[in-house]
Amino acid sequence: MSYEYIKFGKEEREFRQKIEEISGENIFSCYQCGKCSAGCMFSDKMDRTVNQQILRIQLGQKEKVLSANTHWVCASCLTCSVRCPRDIDVAAIMEAIREYTLREEPEKIKISELPKKVLEKLPNIALVANFRKKTG
Amino acid sequence: MVQYSYFPGCNLKTNAKGFEETAIAVSKKLNVELVEIPNWNCCGTVHTMTSDNIMKRIAPVRVLSRSKKHIETLEESPNQVVTLCSMCNSTLKIVSKEVSDNQDTLDKINYQLEDDELTYENDIEVKHFLEILRDSVGYEGISKKVVKPLKGLKVSPYYGCMLLHPEEAKIDDEEMPDVLESLVESLGAELVMSPLFKYCCGSYHIVDQENIVSSQVEKIVEAATRRGANALVVACPLCSYNIDQQQKAMAKESAGFKPIPIFYFTQLMALAMGEPVKINHFKEHFINPEPLLKELGLIGRKKTK
Ligand code: SF4
Ligand code: SF4
Repeated sequence: MSYEYIKFGKEEREFRQKIEEISGENIFSCYQCGKCSAGCMFSDKMDRTVNQQILRIQLGQKEKVLSANTHWVCASCLTCSVRCPRDIDVAAIMEAIREYTLREEPEKIKISELPKKVLEKLPNIALVANFRKKTG
Repeated sequence: MVQYSYFPGCNLKTNAKGFEETAIAVSKKLNVELVEIPNWNCCGTVHTMTSDNIMKRIAPVRVLSRSKKHIETLEESPNQVVTLCSMCNSTLKIVSKEVSDNQDTLDKINYQLEDDELTYENDIEVKHFLEILRDSVGYEGISKKVVKPLKGLKVSPYYGCMLLHPEEAKIDDEEMPDVLESLVESLGAELVMSPLFKYCCGSYHIVDQENIVSSQVEKIVEAATRRGANALVVACPLCSYNIDQQQKAMAKESAGFKPIPIFYFTQLMALAMGEPVKINHFKEHFINPEPLLKELGLIGRKKTK
């Protein structure tokens, strides 16, 4: 059994507040039932599930939250948001983690590096949606 | 003829021409006219879920205000803007709800629209074409126009996410919808229910994480074909592209994989109502539906362009 010391100070609080501010959601509303992760059809590709991400935000563990791939695997399908028993817009929290990162480093995807062939064959809505989600 | 202000969105002019042309054709038969907004812009495709980003909300509000101006020039037009693409539908509906709840946001956006001599006052309703078919035309009215029932076509409805999520944008019950089901039945096709009717296709990840999309599509198609479906019906150009194109790639990789064609709901309507085949633009599909349709005797033997 290993233990993890939990620090809960100003930095932690500020990170949590920032995510709350961007998403407009109260992170402490979440009681960790796990329904969001159970219904998320991408959970198997996430290195931390959606409710685990939310727990980390409650604890203000910025590095752990940002280093997970969860919010980049999330496809904004909004299934979690319509199902959460606490009425939390869970997808908006995933969006807030993306935005938090993009406001520091605005290019998760480098548009100029995409091959011309990809740009030409893909539907406009795929490109516009992708760039709206992955660039700042 | 009732005239609706129609917002096509970008894809109906590029990858999904068959969606638009069949929709316009069948709506005429049903006494509905979709009149395109003369100077529309992209709605932004996905709605921003941030609480503080006004910029990403300007494009969809601009669409609404242009549509309002357009409605004033139409005759006998309900105060509604109609979309075909389910992503446009959801983006426009959400923003319209947001600005009606928040005057401050609307004022800020209107300030940005001033240069175009536009303002938006929250005074129109956004409707998906499926809602018009269900609520204003009615399935019975649709059945009456069917000249060639789609016998032999076993169609599984695939809603994707954006027709049913979120609360502000859904056109039907989010866990038990029946609008596509009823439509398919009113066209004389056989209905095949799949539990993965709203299992996300992977959406915009197609640009840079294709593996996510392919594993989703594999499950969606498998769930439908296992239950006997020989076709899928969709309402979203991105679902359609993802499923169609990934199936082609999968068929190439494994000989055992049996792809099934994807139809927009308006294409099925056009076929059943005896519209010319060419307005479907089947040549642009990755999995060509024509062999199946010929086999079932739903289109003639003549080669269609
Ligand atoms: S469904 Fe809602 S309450 Fe349950 S773990 Fe997810 S966010 Fe928390
Ligand atoms: S919105 Fe994102 S996190 Fe929520 S269910 Fe969909 S993919 Fe999963």
